[in-house]
Amino acid sequence: MECAEAREHLSDLNRGHLEAGTAEAVRAHVGQCASCAAALQREAEVRALIQARAPRYPAPPALRSRIQAAMAQDAFGGPGWRALLRSHPWTVGSLAGAIAVLLLVWGGTLWMARDPVSRLAAQAVAEHVEYAKEMMNRPIPDPPALVKELRSQVDFSFEPIFRGDSQVQLVAGLVSDLLGKRAAAFVYRDGSGRYTTLFLMPEAGTTIPAENRMPIETFKPHHRVTSGRHLLLWKQRDLACLLISDLDEAEMAAMFLKIRKAA
Amino acid sequence: MSDAKTPLPAEALNHLDALYNLARWLARDPTEAEDLVQETYLRAIRAAHQFQPGTNLRAWLFQILRNTFFTRYKRKGREPEVMDPEVLDRMSTLEGPTGVENRLAGPQDGTAGLDLTAALKRLPEAYRSVVLLADVEDFSMGEIARIMDCPVGTVKSRLFRARAILKELLRDYVS
Repeated sequence: MECAEAREHLSDLNRGHLEAGTAEAVRAHVGQCASCAAALQREAEVRALIQARAPRYPAPPALRSRIQAAMAQDAFGGPGWRALLRSHPWTVGSLAGAIAVLLLVWGGTLWMARDPVSRLAAQAVAEHVEYAKEMMNRPIPDPPALVKELRSQVDFSFEPIFRGDSQVQLVAGLVSDLLGKRAAAFVYRDGSGRYTTLFLMPEAGTTIPAENRMPIETFKPHHRVTSGRHLLLWKQRDLACLLISDLDEAEMAAMFLKIRKAA
Repeated sequence: MSDAKTPLPAEALNHLDALYNLARWLARDPTEAEDLVQETYLRAIRAAHQFQPGTNLRAWLFQILRNTFFTRYKRKGREPEVMDPEVLDRMSTLEGPTGVENRLAGPQDGTAGLDLTAALKRLPEAYRSVVLLADVEDFSMGEIARIMDCPVGTVKSRLFRARAILKELLRDYVS
């Protein structure tokens, strides 16, 4: 056995993870190689030191409570787990009240909205609100690289996306999940700190409602207001596109045109 | 979002301390670590239908934690690495002095007196994670390879190099 091969196995030898035959061969090599013997000793010393001296950080009780509650909610099948997990520290004692509030306020939007587009809108707005909370405020340094990476993470292709301009910056791109469908999400922020999120996902199964169409130049996306945010929904080739914004209606229409024309 | 028919197995909670511990080593402060773990469970709950019962839940959760860590950093446009792993990969570690001492030592501190926490924090994330997953969490090389999404050979060489670097940094402790 050569040094390089022996050294690959030193850690496993120390941990007792090697098969008998391999362990024997490594030991035989170490027995006649001072350098590998020193390396083996070093492996054991550093491992022992880390096991004995590296600080362990136990999870804070409040975090445990939040996660316990979220898991319980999920097992129960309620929709409130997401908001529950996201909101800040709650103790177990206040959980019952919190759940009640969630069901009434937040959960109501999700649960009572029976049609798919309403549920899609409610989930997308919830995602949008979370992105805004993340305080993303720096432009993406390399949009083409981001787009390339996102394309590799979703199972559909999409056209060039709007990369921002002097008024609005592209601040994030991430994989999202809407009604069980994987979506690509692009987050924009304007100079006043208002966010706009564009979701792209396969159009299959998404019906764009015929009512409430907003004429914007030659386009007519479906328009609605969900939880105080304007929302536009349209199809583009084989994709369903969803735009949610903190902007007002006219500003949102302008933003829609930038996005629509970039593709 | 989450598949209501497939809740996250209750035993996922048993791994909270271990996940939080790694998160503390990855994140810059306790609040960020909490957020990271919270998001990890959030994603695990969402993706519970993708988990195959009977496979390694612990490794699956650690994998999500590490992916979440990178997604969060990318989202925030921040750079998680302390040192460039490629620089470290190029360093000679098989024979003779590693030279890492000179490269790692800051302007005011040498290796003497450097404590283990500081030494671990000075490793690049890819090296620090391998050491913690192997020595603190006792994952197998195969499990670490899955968690870190890299070949087993890479895990072994990173672990070997990480220990060489740590020994240099901690010479007074170890020898």
